Amino acid sequence: MPIIVNLDVMMAKRKISLNELSERVELTLSNLSILKTGKAKAIRFSTLDAICKALDCQPGDILEYVVDKESKDDR
Amino acid sequence: MIKINTRMITKSKDLVFKGLHVVAWMIFIALCIEAGSLVVNFIYSLVNPRVVHNLYMKLDLSDMYEKNRWIFFGMYSFLLFIALLKAYLFYIVIRLLMKFDLSNPFSSFVSEQINQISYYTFSIGIISYIARQIARNMEHHGIDTNKLNQFWADSQAYILMSAVIYIIATIITKGVEIQKENELTV
Repeated sequence: MPIIVNLDVMMAKRKISLNELSERVELTLSNLSILKTGKAKAIRFSTLDAICKALDCQPGDILEYVVDKESKDDR
Repeated sequence: MIKINTRMITKSKDLVFKGLHVVAWMIFIALCIEAGSLVVNFIYSLVNPRVVHNLYMKLDLSDMYEKNRWIFFGMYSFLLFIALLKAYLFYIVIRLLMKFDLSNPFSSFVSEQINQISYYTFSIGIISYIARQIARNMEHHGIDTNKLNQFWADSQAYILMSAVIYIIATIITKGVEIQKENELTV
């Protein structure tokens, strides 16, 4: 998928652990790790809002769009 | 009051489900016996052609055998194939019922099994239909195939049923996809 989740990068920048973040955003550890590993298919605005609040960042710091090879070939 | 009603409905559903499980096992065993007997008869008729007048369920195909051996083997192969497919179909049904969880019914395993059930039902229907048409043609050539009608009389019902099961399978597959997507939404 061309959307990359940079949650681990932001967590490292803010020096915050997954446990701490899960407590702050009130998400389960398993859900956070789904998001962190890029397995998630969708993200709710409320989740994004909570994460941005907890990490003091913008949605663009967490999500990144990268053109993958397949969609490049289609053009 | 509502809680008691829901509990009673769940209990009765469980009971119906268990009953269906038992019925499926009984049908599967019966179909296995039928397919097994037909296989044994087929092998035995190759070794000892005298048995063709008294095959499975007192089926007498001696006339057909005497007129043309290859027609006998051809028609018998259809019979055998349909019986084996029916047995395998119920094997899939049992496999599905064994792993089916009423509290979490939508899984990729269930959708895959229901899809397979629809494919096998369709195969049985179409093979039975072809066999029936061939048997009808044989009658024009003076070969009596009336005794075989009981084995492929319900070909159209199988084809119709396969279409219905396919629709249900498609709905379940879509449901499983949506459920997976929901599970992966954080």
